[in-house]
Amino acid sequence: MGVSVMGVGFTGAVPTSDGLSYRELITRAARMAYQDAGIEPEDLDGAVSVEEDFVSGYSIADEYVPDQLGVVRKPVYTISGDFLHGFGSAVMQIATGSFDVLVVEAYSKASNLLEKDELLHFAFDPIFDRLGVTPHYLASLEMQRYLDPSDYDLLDVAEVVRRNREQAIANPAAPYGTSLTVTDVLDGRPVATPLTDLMFARHADGAVCIVLGSDEAAAHFSDRPVPVLGTGWGSADSVVQRRDLEGSVGTAVAARRALEEAGIEEPAVQCDVFYLSDLYAHRQLMHMDAMGFGDEMLPVINPDGGALGGGDLFEATGGARLVDAVRQIRGEAGAHQVGEVGTAFVHGWRGLPTDSCAVAVLGSERR
Amino acid sequence: MGRVAVIGAGMTKFVRRAEETPGELTAQAVEMALADAGMTIDDIDAVCLGTAPDAFDGIHMNGENLIAGAGGSSKPYLRHFVGGGTGVFSPIHGWMHVASGKFRTCLVVAEEKMSPCVPHPAGAFLTIFDHTTEQPLELTLIHIFALEMARFMHTYGYTEEEIAQVSVNHKHNALGHPAAQLAEEITVADVMNSTLLSWPVKRYDISPTSDGAAAIVLSTEDVARARGMTPVWIEGVGFRLDTAYWTTRDLAFPEYVAMAARDAYDMAGITRPEAEIDVWEPYDPFDYKALHHMNGLLQDRTGRLVKRLLAEGALARDGSHPMCPSGGALGVGNPIAATGLMKIAELYFQLSGQAGERQVRKDVHRGIAQAWGDLMQVGTVVIMGGEGSSPTRDGVWSSTTRDDLPGTAIKQVGDVPHLAFEPRLTYLWDDGMALTTYLDGFEHGKIRASYCPGCDRMLIPSRSFCELCNLRSVDRYFDLPDTGVIETFTISHVDWASAPLPDGEVRMYAVVAIDGAGDHMGLVHLLGEVDPGDVEIGMRVKAVWKPEEEREGAVTDLLYFRPVADGEDEGEIVPIKPVELTRATAGATGGKIPLAYAYTAGIGGKRFYADLAGGRLSATECPECRQALVPPSGFCELCLRTLDPDSAAVDIGPEGVVAAATLVFEDRYGHELDDPVWVVQVEFADAVGSLFGKVHAEPGTVVAAGTPVVLEKTDQVGPEHVRFALR
Repeated sequence: MGVSVMGVGFTGAVPTSDGLSYRELITRAARMAYQDAGIEPEDLDGAVSVEEDFVSGYSIADEYVPDQLGVVRKPVYTISGDFLHGFGSAVMQIATGSFDVLVVEAYSKASNLLEKDELLHFAFDPIFDRLGVTPHYLASLEMQRYLDPSDYDLLDVAEVVRRNREQAIANPAAPYGTSLTVTDVLDGRPVATPLTDLMFARHADGAVCIVLGSDEAAAHFSDRPVPVLGTGWGSADSVVQRRDLEGSVGTAVAARRALEEAGIEEPAVQCDVFYLSDLYAHRQLMHMDAMGFGDEMLPVINPDGGALGGGDLFEATGGARLVDAVRQIRGEAGAHQVGEVGTAFVHGWRGLPTDSCAVAVLGSERR
Repeated sequence: MGRVAVIGAGMTKFVRRAEETPGELTAQAVEMALADAGMTIDDIDAVCLGTAPDAFDGIHMNGENLIAGAGGSSKPYLRHFVGGGTGVFSPIHGWMHVASGKFRTCLVVAEEKMSPCVPHPAGAFLTIFDHTTEQPLELTLIHIFALEMARFMHTYGYTEEEIAQVSVNHKHNALGHPAAQLAEEITVADVMNSTLLSWPVKRYDISPTSDGAAAIVLSTEDVARARGMTPVWIEGVGFRLDTAYWTTRDLAFPEYVAMAARDAYDMAGITRPEAEIDVWEPYDPFDYKALHHMNGLLQDRTGRLVKRLLAEGALARDGSHPMCPSGGALGVGNPIAATGLMKIAELYFQLSGQAGERQVRKDVHRGIAQAWGDLMQVGTVVIMGGEGSSPTRDGVWSSTTRDDLPGTAIKQVGDVPHLAFEPRLTYLWDDGMALTTYLDGFEHGKIRASYCPGCDRMLIPSRSFCELCNLRSVDRYFDLPDTGVIETFTISHVDWASAPLPDGEVRMYAVVAIDGAGDHMGLVHLLGEVDPGDVEIGMRVKAVWKPEEEREGAVTDLLYFRPVADGEDEGEIVPIKPVELTRATAGATGGKIPLAYAYTAGIGGKRFYADLAGGRLSATECPECRQALVPPSGFCELCLRTLDPDSAAVDIGPEGVVAAATLVFEDRYGHELDDPVWVVQVEFADAVGSLFGKVHAEPGTVVAAGTPVVLEKTDQVGPEHVRFALR
């Protein structure tokens, strides 16, 4: 069964969003998505939220989902992962034939969490990995393990930062657009050498909602449905000591499945725009490698500025990329529209300490 | 949509405290499920895992930590959750994987290790409440269960003794269950005489806190038939999530369970569940909950049928409507997500005729399992069917005993290597538009609501949208009378962490429907100035506020509700202008996660830290893939088989070589360190894996890939103490 994106809603990312509770922030994104999809909440068969406990200061995060989405007493569950993991689950759910229209939601109130590194440290294995120092140590070790045998070096990592943050200048939803030099990035404040504070995404607040429906439902409600051509997700070993840090197995597993479903054999040629997770700049390069692109730089990557320019929105991060992909396909991306987009490849990563990744391939039409 | 079969199951013992880490428990259950299905991990296309709040295991992003043990490495892997409903949602999510046509096989895993949360796992439940409007009242799950139980008893006329019979039945049924933690023969009097925790809840009304894991294997019909399995099918699924504003609806009937069941019946083609279902496994974390859920599953708002079945003994295992033949959460134990999956496994055993001494007397063609959770708001339901359980067969499970199941019970964490951890998670939550006005009301001694003209409800706490009216904007605000009616109440003898209150002290919580707000529209708060014996449902009460100068715009500005005095004036409903948000007025509420943890080092960690104390390092050799795993491990995540790190130990250390090094400038909170510290990843000859640790090095020393190092001996347990010296 074909599934399409019916509508998208994104509040845009901001460093702080005081004045809106998390519920109000989500409601804003939901109303945008519902209007875009041509539906009312009552038309929904359910919701998939993407959230982890503790990010927002409570446990059993799924409790606080149905109200602000307007889906009280409907089928609702929560996926832990990047937005793209929840997106993949929702596509699968509709494909069972038992559900027609679903909303996928994630949000960040990062500004309300006062010490974010401690939360990440808390995600590390308690028996072997919580070293009592910044959890970014693992990103630095991973970056070095990756760069050492690869064709890239630190200058390439810095270039990813420079480019993504510059691209974000044209994106009104991205708060961290700016012009930097590669030297600025390398000379940033050291966090865990050679990782500087400019090599990973700053946090931001924001909410994302995307309405998905069967192709039939999408045709019924939506003016501009965007077909989902393929989805996939994958994870590497969670025992970091035994994980291959030189690559991203999660990306390879996820991309292979999504591209296969989309019938795409040469993604570098057949996809017009790529969104690759850049929560850490070296990861963007790792994710390219994992898809077999070698050292060939793809034509358009993260035209919205990625997470480096758009902010780390916790679980909502990949959602911001998906929204941009939909707008690019529709030709609605404004100043950062990259031209005519027939196919978009969108990748999300759950962040440290994982290699859990998910991919969605979207197209202007079903093939 | 193709049919989805259950073709194997596995589980650990359910225990109060397990020595294994969460990942190790998970691997044990998965190894059994794969063996039961006659498969290896290579036969599995995808893995999905359920675990309820991370607050128990004490690992943020717990699903990610469990990938290895769940068999998800290098595979499509998703973690899902719906609180206490997670266990029965797990096979629903697995069903989506297969029924969608995306995967042929899906390994479904559920895990909960509650014991790391100290001083008592019950404390974790404080963090499930709304951080701004409820957590300051120091509620825990026992309190809201007690509130719901009191309302249930009031509405349906149950006595505590009648409800206690459920606990008696389930603990008896569990005597035949190999995983059972609390199987025993008890009487109604034993329940009634057990410690009163929060009236009407007594110790024996409650399931225990537990550690455990369970797993099942799902497949397409083709895969199942090809393996010559007796097919057991997932015939219907349903799941519904109600509002988080739990004090604004009637608690007596679980409408969300009834709706989820209706979805499942529709999918399975069931029109008369009371006649067409042979085995019932409702969620029973408390004894009354089994009855409460049965009302929902039977679509019986009157509650008469279940009451009659209980009175006639028809809910016993050999009765006409066998309820929880497994022994349920009350008898087998309640490692929350794993409990739900244990119930699914029980249907698989019953339907395939391999439940052994627990096999119900009637021929079983259909069974139903259900779980529940969150803030009394989620119902998850699965209907399974087969070709009949007669004749019963001697499968592995019909003769499995507790000794056959993996899992190591320990009495105290201190009996094994362990480490303590206290996360410092602090927050300043934006109140936003509606709650700023609501909390401003408390500062002014007012209970404030926003009004939705769509459903004609006064919304408490006030919100800027209506959750029932298509997110209609809600902009009108009113001050309500600070009087109301007790909808339900509990008299608690324990605090939020389940510790007894000082002698004679009680805390009384009530859901109070506020005057002028409409049916069941209320808030939860404390009671005072009343003898506990005089409190009753329907009693009229009035708010008692802190002195004005002590109020701070928090729900604790209201001290408690007391009985309304004779002749006391009733308040008015007064329209007000909401607070205009500016930098000066936009509110934010501070709070923290007040939890601490004591983790066992686990099977692998025990070996690692014992070696470390002797200045050694060993790896664990997997006999299947012949790889020597470092750090030592209780299982091989490549082959999904459990390992004994002692008998399979290979000496590989303590000398290794740095694979990567970083000079770290910040502490775990993100604050700058006074002295940067080297952190390294170290590899060892002839082993797969590495260790992370710090390096003892003089200032100015450069550590880099290739630097030879040696692991330093220490008898301290914990990764913070893992250090290397330069060779």
